[in-house]
Amino acid sequence: MTEAWIVVHDLDGGNALARSARALAERVVAVSVGAGGLADADLTLTVDAAPGALVEAYAQPVAALLAARGATVVAFAGDVRSRLLAGQVAAHLGVGPTNVAGVVSTAPLVVTRLAYGGLAVATDEITAPVAVLVLEPGAVTPSDVAGQGAVEPVDATPTAGLTLVETRPKGGEQVDLTAAKRVVGVGRGFAAEADLDLARAVANRLGAELACSRPISEGVGWMPAERYLGVSGATIKPDVYLAIGISGQIQHLVGVNHAKVIVAINKDKNAPIFQQADFGVVGDLYQVLPALVDAL
Amino acid sequence: MRIVACVKAAPEDSDIAVKPDRTLDLSRAQWKVGSYDLNAVEAARQVADQVGGEVIGLSVGSEGWSGSKLRKDVLSRGLDSLVVVPGDPDADSFQTASALAAAVGELGGCDLVLLGAGSSDRYAQQVGNQLGALLGRPTLNQVDAITVDGDHVRVERLLEDGVQVVDVPLPAVLSLTSGINTPRIAGMKDILAAGKKPVSEVAAAMPGASARVASLLAPEQVDRGRVVVEGDPAETAQQLAQFLTTL
Ligand SMILES: Cc1cc2nc3c(=O)[nH]c(=O)nc-3n(C[C@H](O)[C@H](O)[C@H](O)COP(=O)(O)OP(=O)(O)OC[C@H]3O[C@@H](n4cnc5c(N)ncnc54)[C@H](O)[C@@H]3O)c2cc1C
Ligand SMILES: Nc1ncnc2c1ncn2[C@@H]1O[C@H](COP(=O)(O)O)[C@@H](O)[C@H]1O
Repeated sequence: MTEAWIVVHDLDGGNALARSARALAERVVAVSVGAGGLADADLTLTVDAAPGALVEAYAQPVAALLAARGATVVAFAGDVRSRLLAGQVAAHLGVGPTNVAGVVSTAPLVVTRLAYGGLAVATDEITAPVAVLVLEPGAVTPSDVAGQGAVEPVDATPTAGLTLVETRPKGGEQVDLTAAKRVVGVGRGFAAEADLDLARAVANRLGAELACSRPISEGVGWMPAERYLGVSGATIKPDVYLAIGISGQIQHLVGVNHAKVIVAINKDKNAPIFQQADFGVVGDLYQVLPALVDAL
Repeated sequence: MRIVACVKAAPEDSDIAVKPDRTLDLSRAQWKVGSYDLNAVEAARQVADQVGGEVIGLSVGSEGWSGSKLRKDVLSRGLDSLVVVPGDPDADSFQTASALAAAVGELGGCDLVLLGAGSSDRYAQQVGNQLGALLGRPTLNQVDAITVDGDHVRVERLLEDGVQVVDVPLPAVLSLTSGINTPRIAGMKDILAAGKKPVSEVAAAMPGASARVASLLAPEQVDRGRVVVEGDPAETAQQLAQFLTTL
């Protein structure tokens, strides 16, 4: 029977990954760092994480465990902690991880990943003795086959070094932009945070969710990270995407080019976004948006 | 303090042409350092300016560095010197991290290695994670703030559900967020000074690749209407509203 391994650090994300990993093999075995057994895996090796330890401190013992058990396919989720774990575990195993956008076949293992900011898709045949995969959202269709849920505790000693001083939880809304039928995206064309109200007014009229380009989120922090679109952010498939003050770099477009219709407002008539738009307005958003709210 | 900032020269994506058979034409692409790598240069400069020390730029892949323009560009943004490691610039993250690890050893070690959020061509977000493991040093990704405090740094790390404050003993390897700073624009004086900064080469072996690239193709393009209107804002807004309501 073919076997896929997963390495997880939280229960919900872990079970979701277990269901996804069934696309890779018949049997799913998990290594769970501090998150206990997974109902959706067939077997979970549970590592009791020391209180206050970072899950990443277990990369080396987890790699040793995977090697000892002969794992040949190891999948990780795409969150920040899992990514670091993936890279470190892979390095200890002497291989490079692959960010998987899609799975073409499992024997041989052939996967796709984005390249050049999403300008191209690379199809990779994994040739390393151990395939370490980071499954990006939507890479595979999760299975609804139930796992056997067996649990086996294992011992592991964390690597010393990092000291967690405190964790400041981020109160955040849960957003699922992937389900939105209409999305309004804002970019650096907005000069101040308060001006986003202009876009909010349009979004309200259209019944649309508000999203943004990456610099609006990670650069100036006007919107939470869940709301930025693109190669490293969310990918959406709405009926309409309205890009306001967004230049249309490939890294952004890749997150929105599955929209049925793309509409753009930009004051620069040479902005690349117009090449990808069904309908474009060349104009200053500070003049166009109030007029648009009136017209809708 | 000796700080290494890792930068990659990659073909500028806006110069890459897609051929009718969807393969890429990189022949006219300028080589550029990815915008997120510049966050590593800026952060390194800021730390060095605070506590004293030098900033060495380290790059695997010599193809993009042959012209002096790019060298001057990154050197003018805060590096004291640049070390280029010949090798495949399109190598995978383990290959690149292995070469970087060997090069750091050749340079006689350092106190802090800083990397960007992701390279502009591969965007694996992994070279730093792998490099840290290979060097056997404390390693973190998504670092959004750095404060040096004697023999360790205190960092803020941005997660999906919160911010971790972590004490990291030196030497360490940190990958940054793209929002940690705004890379400086070099002035005339910096650009002139950059021409005099040392650029050297260090050889480092690279292991084999973890995957074979079977194909590299642009996705199928969606045909878009590309109607563009221009002129009086009230009028164009009206036309846009009309378009939206017919959907
Ligand atoms: C490795 C990597 C990964 C990346 N991942 C992502 C990603 O996932 N998502 C993402 O979005 N970006 C990503 N980026 C960044 C991306 O390359 C662009 O820098 C970014 O998308 C630009 O955001 P923007 O369009 O808001 O800003 P800009 O490019 O600065 O564009 C602003 C636009 O606003 C217009 N404008 C200005 N004033 C007005 C006005 N008054 N009225 C109307 N229009 C106006 C300007 O003409 C311009 O076109 C990534 C970059 C790298 C290197
Ligand atoms: N060839 C390279 N030479 C030097 N640094 C690199 C190279 N490739 C990647 N890096 C660094 O590692 C970071 C992450 O790259 P990646 O894992 O490819 O997304 C980049 O932002 C750079 O700081």
